[in-house]
Amino acid sequence: MIYSIMYGLTIGAVLYLISIGLSLTFGTIRVINFAHTITYTIGAYILAASINELGIHFFWGGVLAVLIAALAGYCIERFVIRRLYGESLDYTFIATFAVFLIGVDIVKWIWGVYPKPLSDPIGMYINFMGSIFPVYRIFVVLFAILVFFGLEIFMRKTMVGKIIVAALDNKEGVRCLGIGVEKYFSIVFILGSALAAAGGVLYAPITSISPYMGMNILLLCFAVVLTGGMGNLRGTFFASFFLGLLMSITGRFWSAGSEIIVFMTMAIVLFFRPIDV
Amino acid sequence: MENNLNEPRTVSRIFSFWGKQLAKTTGRKRFSELVFLSIVFLLLIPFLGTHRATDFAIFCIFVLSFDLLYGYMGRLSFGHLLYLGVGAYAAGLSLRYITTNPLVAIVIGVLAACVTGMTAGSVAIRATGACFALINLAFNRVGWFLVMSPLKSITGGENGLSIRNLSLGLFDFRDPTFRFLFVLISLIFIFFLLRIITSSSYGVLLRSIKEDEKRVSFLGYNTYFYKWINFVIAASVAGFAGALSALNYGYINPNILDVNANSGVIFACLIGGPGHLYGAIVGGVVYMLITNLLPIYLQRWELFLGVSLLLIVFRFRKGIWGSLENLYKDLATREIANMSSEKGESK
Repeated sequence: MIYSIMYGLTIGAVLYLISIGLSLTFGTIRVINFAHTITYTIGAYILAASINELGIHFFWGGVLAVLIAALAGYCIERFVIRRLYGESLDYTFIATFAVFLIGVDIVKWIWGVYPKPLSDPIGMYINFMGSIFPVYRIFVVLFAILVFFGLEIFMRKTMVGKIIVAALDNKEGVRCLGIGVEKYFSIVFILGSALAAAGGVLYAPITSISPYMGMNILLLCFAVVLTGGMGNLRGTFFASFFLGLLMSITGRFWSAGSEIIVFMTMAIVLFFRPIDV
Repeated sequence: MENNLNEPRTVSRIFSFWGKQLAKTTGRKRFSELVFLSIVFLLLIPFLGTHRATDFAIFCIFVLSFDLLYGYMGRLSFGHLLYLGVGAYAAGLSLRYITTNPLVAIVIGVLAACVTGMTAGSVAIRATGACFALINLAFNRVGWFLVMSPLKSITGGENGLSIRNLSLGLFDFRDPTFRFLFVLISLIFIFFLLRIITSSSYGVLLRSIKEDEKRVSFLGYNTYFYKWINFVIAASVAGFAGALSALNYGYINPNILDVNANSGVIFACLIGGPGHLYGAIVGGVVYMLITNLLPIYLQRWELFLGVSLLLIVFRFRKGIWGSLENLYKDLATREIANMSSEKGESK
């Protein structure tokens, strides 16, 4: 039981890192970004490539992966998302899905379709109340909590963060103050992409990486964002850990039901509190 | 525009003749639609063989059902394959365990998809825009999981489900020619059904919901109910397509429910032109041609699909049929202009 709680917290942490970008992009630009988890896939693959082929340490591989994924995020924002501001949601949806297809195919082109395993970078275990956990997972959870508080401080104390929070609330109002919101939207997008890549980097040693990994986690992230509320930073944090725990605890009793329960929760939440977009 | 001026006169005449025939939607003139559809699919047979042509026709039925939801009601669903899969599995399972009659199996497939559409629709229809798409996606995923693991003992899980008992008297589904004819007739039937639905006052209501739902509800219509009905119709038609595909292959694979494959339907609907029944059929045929022929020549066809989807979204929103319609309108106005100028000269 303790083990499955721990596992749930790990999944929740990874889900949080990925969905925060999704939630922010939606809250500001009103674009449902299907291409969001392509940076997660790219991050994981670049980590694997840099460890296996360049032979550098996990940490530097992770930094490299996040940087390259942020660059990819910038390209997506510059060439696709920026053209879609103010368009109807359907078109943005289809366009970002097209970006996702292109990204997956490029990943397949470069690295092949077969899943690649990665080993645990820390390799230490901790004994807690009779159960043995890898230290790495605790590190992942701590990293997510750190990111949460870092984002809270960033959004509250810095000027950029304040503008983003204001734009989440009322975009037109911010624009009326003479602030070019688009620049901040790009910052939000790149930040979200970098965090998603960090999620990919951290999650890669726990599972194996494959070109379609982005699709599987994307659905879970949508569930998290819809449950937590679009553009709601704290809601996303709590929803991701809640759903992560729910998944792992359900998976303990009924292994097939772990993802079903997540979508059922999402459907129930939406049923009682429909989001009008 | 200049290209149009240079094109041969005969081509434009044939084009405007068909345009006139197809633009007429009332009375007995609908007969020309039937001829048009049949000719298109009969032309496909020599190129592709009967089995492929049947496949194309089934996919067109499915795209028609998607178009009813997206093109006419303006609700983009990312999980429409669920109903295709439900129809296919229901038909296949009933043939395996309950009945030996393929027609009964088709009816069961449609009913199962209808019931699924009713329950899932009552939740999904509350949302709009992106939430609608995502909820459908989630339902599709749940369905896939159910087939893959909890119901593995019945559905065969990853191994799929093979179907026997395909014949009953005259209805011999083992014969590819009969299958093709049956599917073609059902395609035409569905086409007419949807033509009636979309050109009725109910269809007008659907289109006005697409334009502005709030105003429609101000007029006193219960928009939830109408949207729900439309969702159920679309689901049932998709289930019909699923049952037909189960009978066509004699084998069902869980890939029929694969979430990623939804992009194919959306692509087909967009490339043909959403909001036109012909657009759905043109899009279905073009998409099937691309996916069947392109992987032979081009290994990175997913890349191609993505790039062309982007191009459609940025440059080509009306789709093939929409552009053709515009071209026809241009020609028609020019003809009228020519005629009036000729009259002016004679006077």
